[in-house]
Amino acid sequence: MDNIVTIFIFGLLLGGIYGLVSIGLTLIFGVIRITNFAHGEILMIGMYGTYFVYVWLGLNPYAALIVVVPAMFIVGLLVQRLLIQPLLNEPMMQIFATFGLLIFLENLVLMLTNGAALGIPSEHGTRVISLLNNKVSVAQILAFAASTIIVISLHLFLNQTMMGKAIRAVTQDKRAAATMGINVNRIFLLTFGIGTAITGIGSVFLTPIYTLSPTIGGSFVLAAFAVVVLGGLGSVWGAYFAGLIIGLIESFAGFYIDPTLKSAVWFLIFIAVLIVRPSGLLGIAGAEEVGLREQQ
Amino acid sequence: MRLIRSLPLICAVLTLTAASALAADPIKIGEINPFSGPLAKYGLELARGHELAVDEVNAKGGLLGRKVELIRGDATNPQQAIASVEQLATRDKVDLFSGTYMSPVSAAASDEAQRYNRLYWETIATAQELTDRGLSNFVRTGPNATSYAIESVAAVKDLIAPAFNKNPRDLKIWIEHEDLNFGTSIAQTLEQLLEKDGVKPIGIGAHSFKAIDLNDTVLRIKQAQPDILVEIGYVPDGNLLLNTLKNQGYKIPAIMYVVTGDAPETLNIVGAKDLEGLLVVSYPRTNIPSSYSPGGAEYLAAYRAKYKEEPIATLGMSAFAGMQMLFDAIRAAGTTDVDKVREAAAKMDKPFQSYPGGYGVKFDDKFQNTRALPVVVQWQSGDTVTVYPKNAVSPGTTLRNLPSN
Repeated sequence: MDNIVTIFIFGLLLGGIYGLVSIGLTLIFGVIRITNFAHGEILMIGMYGTYFVYVWLGLNPYAALIVVVPAMFIVGLLVQRLLIQPLLNEPMMQIFATFGLLIFLENLVLMLTNGAALGIPSEHGTRVISLLNNKVSVAQILAFAASTIIVISLHLFLNQTMMGKAIRAVTQDKRAAATMGINVNRIFLLTFGIGTAITGIGSVFLTPIYTLSPTIGGSFVLAAFAVVVLGGLGSVWGAYFAGLIIGLIESFAGFYIDPTLKSAVWFLIFIAVLIVRPSGLLGIAGAEEVGLREQQ
Repeated sequence: MRLIRSLPLICAVLTLTAASALAADPIKIGEINPFSGPLAKYGLELARGHELAVDEVNAKGGLLGRKVELIRGDATNPQQAIASVEQLATRDKVDLFSGTYMSPVSAAASDEAQRYNRLYWETIATAQELTDRGLSNFVRTGPNATSYAIESVAAVKDLIAPAFNKNPRDLKIWIEHEDLNFGTSIAQTLEQLLEKDGVKPIGIGAHSFKAIDLNDTVLRIKQAQPDILVEIGYVPDGNLLLNTLKNQGYKIPAIMYVVTGDAPETLNIVGAKDLEGLLVVSYPRTNIPSSYSPGGAEYLAAYRAKYKEEPIATLGMSAFAGMQMLFDAIRAAGTTDVDKVREAAAKMDKPFQSYPGGYGVKFDDKFQNTRALPVVVQWQSGDTVTVYPKNAVSPGTTLRNLPSN
């Protein structure tokens, strides 16, 4: 019983990490339907940004939020304007372009760091508190809390603000949205920027936990896409709960079955859910085709 | 009389001819390594070891009366390795090849070198199958996966068991490894060697080196309550494992990392306090006493003089020693011809502690050097000191943080 509680806690916290990595992607891939293969590398440059802010400015790693998040917003604007915008009606080409961006960012960081593994000294990532007789990492709890706060904020933003409603309108039918006076290109630009900035928040909370390498984004990106699809394209809460579910499955499978099989187990469940509910856990039926269908 | 008067002239002409031959017709060695990409740092360090050996031999008049020259070929993956070997063999017309930081690169490059009938003298890459393939142009001077397993078992029996005041058979050992070929092959050999000595590991676990969470792994280890955790992995997963152990507040009496765990990155990220006492099976250090590692101090002095910095990684000295072995083999063969050098290498028989790092030379029938073993170091106050084998330990060095000390 003790083990079950412990594994449940670790699974939830891992789910928080998956949520943190996936929420920015939910906005970019799930809402405005841009297949950004470089999402992991965007996360990676945010992590390096956090590291260098910590080293150069000597700030607490979490204080890097004030530098990294605006910087990542600008990165998002630039990527969207220079790379995605010219290919807005070419979903296949977007995939190739973002794959090119992936290679570029990975090699850029390789060049700058000479491939050395970097990381914030572990005292920031290994503080613990006691929770139900288990020692739990403070860094992981903060990541979980950040993930929860972001998802609530994003939900309110998309549903309660004019800008959020405009984003949803553009996703559903960009021609109709344009006739209603919405500047479609501007909405795409800002949404990509916001999605990238949210990924930047994730970067800051993950940096104290991991050893940084130029390929670290690859460790997260597959799970992030799976989380967004499993949750239901366009559903922010769906991504959040899907992250938690995958975290829990991975944690239980890792302990009770085999750590090497944990990804296989949750991918099996992922496939089974999609067969039964192609729109994902909280997606609206047919949502998987919205946007993509329109672009073709 | 006329002949005697002409002698100085003849001598001068002969000297000039010899000198021009030395300058014009060097022995060219194709240096295959990752000089770009994420592992460039280590490829460069390995090449530096080779360069210092080349400088040394050239300063003594060269090899077979010819200057030795290294020509670099960048290879970060097997495809690039093949292209680099092709280019070096056809454009630069190298006489032989050497390398290599990455085993997959070594495998592809040596295979391609065989097509050009050139020797591939491997000094670092560790994968077992490199020599198991039985390639007709391949020789390896450095430790392989089995060497790491042999040294790990020896450390368990001769170093850790006495510190626990236990018979090795009574020790509870957990082997944890990354799940690709590198970690799996060493873990399997380690398990076999331990079982041969009657030591049965209580558990063997595997994880991905890209894992983002090792809480489940640590819980499994915790449930087994081992005396010793042996970890075979890369830097990121090794660091994550140490941090996860700390997060869960679980202290294992002895932890031994194999191959990685002594990198400066690990010190920066995990910190000296949390590394204290960690054992690492790794390449021999430059600060090992000269009675064990003859030429080690001279290597370090030459390195500092040429590169104006401290060695980046410990593998450079093993690369240096491997290159010295190559030159000895070429001298014995009198040529760089692949078959004749291998023939000469097969006859080499030098005891341990003949080369820097404590290496000797005796190749088995697959051309794996059986007298190249890693050493065991321990993190002590933010530095790694050699603690095994006994004759490689500096005076005054003792084990720390293990149960009986």
